[in-house]
Amino acid sequence: MKPADIAPPPVWRRFLAAAFSTSLVKSSPRMRLVALAFVALYGAIGAKLVFLGFRPEPATLRRAAAEAVAAARPDILDRNGEILATDVKTMSVFAEPRRLIDKDEATELLTAALPDVDARELRERLGSKKGFVWVKREVSPHQRDEVFHLGLPGVGLIAENKRVYPNGPIGAHVLGYTNIDNVGIAGIEKYLDGQGLADLHGAGFNLTPEDLRPVSLSLDIKATHAVRDELRKGVERFKAKAGAAAILDVNTGEIVAFASYPDYDPNKPTDALDKDHINRMNVGVYEMGSTFKALTIAMALDSGKVNLNSRLDARGTLSFGRFKIHDYHAQNRALTLPEVFTYSSNIGTARMALGQGVEKHKAFLRKMGQLTRMRTELPESAEPIVPKNWGELNTMTIAFGHGLAVAPLQAMMAVGALMNGGYLITPSFLKRSEAEAKQDAPQVVKAETSEAMRYLMRLNAEKGTARKADIPGYFVGGKTGTAEKVINGHYSKTRLFTTFMAVAPSDKPKYLFLTLMDEPQGLPEDGNYATAAYNAGVITGKIVERVGPLLGLPPRFDPPTQPFPLLARLGYGFVNTPAAGGGGH
Amino acid sequence: MLRFLNIVAILALMGSAVYAYTIKYQTSYRAEQIAKTRLEIKNERDAIAVLRAEWSFLTRPERVQELADRYLDLQALSVGQIVSAQSLPDRASRVDSIGKKLDALGLGLASTPATDPTVVSTTPKGAKH
Repeated sequence: MKPADIAPPPVWRRFLAAAFSTSLVKSSPRMRLVALAFVALYGAIGAKLVFLGFRPEPATLRRAAAEAVAAARPDILDRNGEILATDVKTMSVFAEPRRLIDKDEATELLTAALPDVDARELRERLGSKKGFVWVKREVSPHQRDEVFHLGLPGVGLIAENKRVYPNGPIGAHVLGYTNIDNVGIAGIEKYLDGQGLADLHGAGFNLTPEDLRPVSLSLDIKATHAVRDELRKGVERFKAKAGAAAILDVNTGEIVAFASYPDYDPNKPTDALDKDHINRMNVGVYEMGSTFKALTIAMALDSGKVNLNSRLDARGTLSFGRFKIHDYHAQNRALTLPEVFTYSSNIGTARMALGQGVEKHKAFLRKMGQLTRMRTELPESAEPIVPKNWGELNTMTIAFGHGLAVAPLQAMMAVGALMNGGYLITPSFLKRSEAEAKQDAPQVVKAETSEAMRYLMRLNAEKGTARKADIPGYFVGGKTGTAEKVINGHYSKTRLFTTFMAVAPSDKPKYLFLTLMDEPQGLPEDGNYATAAYNAGVITGKIVERVGPLLGLPPRFDPPTQPFPLLARLGYGFVNTPAAGGGGH
Repeated sequence: MLRFLNIVAILALMGSAVYAYTIKYQTSYRAEQIAKTRLEIKNERDAIAVLRAEWSFLTRPERVQELADRYLDLQALSVGQIVSAQSLPDRASRVDSIGKKLDALGLGLASTPATDPTVVSTTPKGAKH
């Protein structure tokens, strides 16, 4: 070997040789050093992981946005599947103040693109330390494009759900409305939130409309429109302050049509706050006037103390202390029970209620759900105004519908029970079957009493005060009610609250119609009469005629031969012979 | 021998690498397609929701009534216009009116009605329903 060969190798080769040497003895100190370095490195990584794990999760933009955007809601459909409320996507502009470079410039550009945003307020919001702020919700497509073309870093667009009510004011009082975050504020919308929808959103579930089953209401949009249209015309014609009308399916308790006028457009929820736009069916309580006589007569018939052949003294006036009860259509003779109903005799009904006594009267009205707050799906409801000290005088006046104020829908429930064979079914705004409805519906009056009430209603439409609603072919039964409004603690003769209840058809009841008018004015062609028959009765007749075919109620031209079989079996054969001038025409 | 095995191993390695990458690219391509389709479905759904809302907005009874009042010469249905199926008259017996007229004019096949079944003026079955 040459000496050059044994010369020591260059430094780098020696280092490599040592590093890659497998000789443990030679490299053990270095190996230990390397091992130590790795332990330190992995230790640091581990420590950082633990540190990150314990630190609260930083609010990411995505999360903040998901919390802020309007959540999806289920579609609301009518009983035939027409859309009453649905979600559409709109764009909203948001900003991340931390990522904005020049906040003043951003404010200037954004207010130029979105002219209805207040510049000073926007500057304040952009100056905040939040990670996410709204610039403007629900911008138009044009504004969306403009904001997009600004290309500002830290300003973005996000899709949101916006609730729309394509039918406008039709059914508005039932639907209610939502706020800009798509949270239900009133009506069925609020009810849906109470059914767990809000909880799901709160728990962070990002629900899409596809996940949500549409909700079917009991309303029929076409019938509701027809009812609202007739009601609106009526309110205008009779210059009433307000009016309301509803149709109840007496066998299922479903509200098929519902209108309270004046109303509002749920697409503009601020309108709903107007005091004038309240739901008069459900939220207002009123003295129902003579329609309440049906309850009194049903009570008396159900007790067995009177029957259809009973006679009641209706002469002169009925005095109680310094109070005197008069009849509006005074006959000054003894009236049979059907006559008490058709002449709408206050004295006759007051005597019937007195015959039962205060306690029984109270118990009956309680059983009929007239003394406690009625709860439906609608969150809005009203407590009836019940006299504090209920004495004989109260029983006498309540017998003909004065002195007890109830929600009209509540009165409808009770009259519905008198019509449908005696089952008290709480009205519902959701679609349901008859079996579901009757499942927990108590029988409050006998089937015979119910049939007698239908006979009386029919008789009243044939030759009593309800003739204006006797639309041929539908075998309508009806009852008017005119209550004087209390103005400054006194009953006013000129300010009336009129109601009209109609049932069709009377032999096999299907629908109960209620129309009420607040302070209708008499028309010269009606002899300036403003009692229920001239306004609420006429409107109900129009509603029956227009809605009957829509709801699939077939008109019959031969009146039913045996409309009241139970009564005939009890020996009241006369009920099945059509009254003079009446019949099915 | 060993060298041959090495070559085979290298080729197999290269082949599997190529295959693996193909799969990977295909997967990401498909994933992209899925994401794109999902987005399209979402956009379609949103569009359907808007169209449905628009449809019910345009067919709302209030508007239809107003348009009908303005452009159509229609009246509200009255009860008298509804007739039950029972009260419909029975189907009239079929009459060959053209044939009769021809017969009256002496041009028809009146001389041979029985031999030609197509011009039988009344069919007994037509009276039933």
